[in-house]
Amino acid sequence: MTNLRDKYCIVGVGETEYSRQSGRTTRAMAVEAIRKAILDSGLPRDDVDGMLSYQNNDSTPAPWVASDLGIRLNFYMDVVGGGSSTEALIGLAMGAIEAGMCRAVAIFRSMNGYSELRIGGTGARSAAPIRGLDLAQAPFGMRSAGQNFALTFMRHMHEYGTTSEQVAHVKVAHAKHASQNPKALLKDRVTVQDVVGSRWIVKPLHLLDCCLETDNATCLIVTSAERARDCQPRPVHILGVAGRVSKPRTDFHWAHGPITRVAGYYAKDIVFGQAGIGPDDIDVTGSYDAFTFTTMLQLEEYGFCKKGEGGGYVSSGIIELGGRRPNNTSGGHLCEGYTHGMSMVIENVRQLRGTVDDYCPQSAEGIHTYDYSPGRCRQVQDAEITMNLGWAMPPTGSALILRR
Amino acid sequence: VPEPVQYRGMTLLVPDNDSEWKEFYAHARAHRLMVRKCLACGLLRYPPTHACPWCMELGWAWQEVSGRGTIYSYEVVVHAIQPGFKDATPYAVVLVELDEQRGQPTPDEGLRIIANLVRPDGGLEEASKAAIGERVEVVFQDLAAHLALPQFALSGEPPAGPLWRLPE
Repeated sequence: MTNLRDKYCIVGVGETEYSRQSGRTTRAMAVEAIRKAILDSGLPRDDVDGMLSYQNNDSTPAPWVASDLGIRLNFYMDVVGGGSSTEALIGLAMGAIEAGMCRAVAIFRSMNGYSELRIGGTGARSAAPIRGLDLAQAPFGMRSAGQNFALTFMRHMHEYGTTSEQVAHVKVAHAKHASQNPKALLKDRVTVQDVVGSRWIVKPLHLLDCCLETDNATCLIVTSAERARDCQPRPVHILGVAGRVSKPRTDFHWAHGPITRVAGYYAKDIVFGQAGIGPDDIDVTGSYDAFTFTTMLQLEEYGFCKKGEGGGYVSSGIIELGGRRPNNTSGGHLCEGYTHGMSMVIENVRQLRGTVDDYCPQSAEGIHTYDYSPGRCRQVQDAEITMNLGWAMPPTGSALILRR
Repeated sequence: VPEPVQYRGMTLLVPDNDSEWKEFYAHARAHRLMVRKCLACGLLRYPPTHACPWCMELGWAWQEVSGRGTIYSYEVVVHAIQPGFKDATPYAVVLVELDEQRGQPTPDEGLRIIANLVRPDGGLEEASKAAIGERVEVVFQDLAAHLALPQFALSGEPPAGPLWRLPE
């Protein structure tokens, strides 16, 4: 297989406010996020001639958004999907540029995930007629993401003795990180007792085990390392990428292979193989936290600890700022807001640049205090290599390794 | 085209050209739990699909199974998102491993099916009775002339190994 290690970069990132009432269209939000990412990159607008988006009939197609910005495209595609798409589309962007189809690709996700189409809500999605594959589970009151994943989580607790308290530490860590993030929807720190004392949603998930439906748009720009030399901020290099890697069966994965195994089992060799490194070399992780459990399952499957020891790993302090390998330093989907994964890649890009947008007055110039008490700093000192673990569902995931 | 079936506020659509589900539900309405058996490798599969996921063979035949099995995993929905389930909470969704194909073709695989834990009369069972290891048997919930949902009720048999419930 061709290895494109270090040949491509993420050169620009941008996002809109994380809110629950954007009061505007996904088109307007996408335009703002893409414009910010282009300005952040320093690339001339006309150099961005590729565009990718992902959505579930809940967003605005790339060609409309590009037209609003006066961008003439040489390549675009709107892909169906949510979580795990960010990393997969970064790989597709690299391929499109490598094939000579375009020079730089803006990848965006724009969603009114709270005010319009709620994934876990009681609106349009839950009222749609049930046919085809959905008949295997929806008639039994199993339709939301949490309901879809809970059988896997429960079985992990049964097989490995994982406890609610252990997993609650994921929320505790991410809430700590969000307290350093002016953009976060939820900035208050929480305790393990807060999490396990919150009301049940679908056992074994409490309310605080679940992420926040959010209105937001995000964008990042991929181009070749050669072109990245002309860009404004320090480019972040792509060491390895794996996209929508799946277990043998995705529709009814509960019957095939160990039920507690997630897609990282297959993705890890692809992404670490490209990068030529292993889990010990990673300084910061961004493990998709649709739920506390999803972060834990992925960290163990990618080898940051042994299979089955994820509960111990996430409750050890390692994943908190100040720990050996912090996870989701922005607060992630549990606290900053839900973006189907893109925000976690944006956060890691900023970590590698040294310019995380925390409360340090000169954060934009890369000057940080590294004081992790509430309302202060969330920059990781000398972060050199980050990894994103993208999740769609237990049997499908993506991964991305970046270096500064 | 058969009429859509209304159940708990949901519209269940099984059109005449539904090559996966139409016959499955007709068999269920006759109170027979049928799965597909590959004519080449002989493995059973659920849900009904067109090719064998193990050997890619297209040939298959319906095979009746006993409807007896063990709860392999479960969840309890306390906050329903589907309006028709709001008054049913808390309810248990169970992943049942049927007796026919346990540990095949690999030790981690089996013939598994998702349903609610119900009482023998078809009403929802108390969710607190769900536990990994409990023995269950199929109960057919008739919804229309051409459609019944296979559900599962506690069979009263001794559990398959130690019972496990979420510690609360």
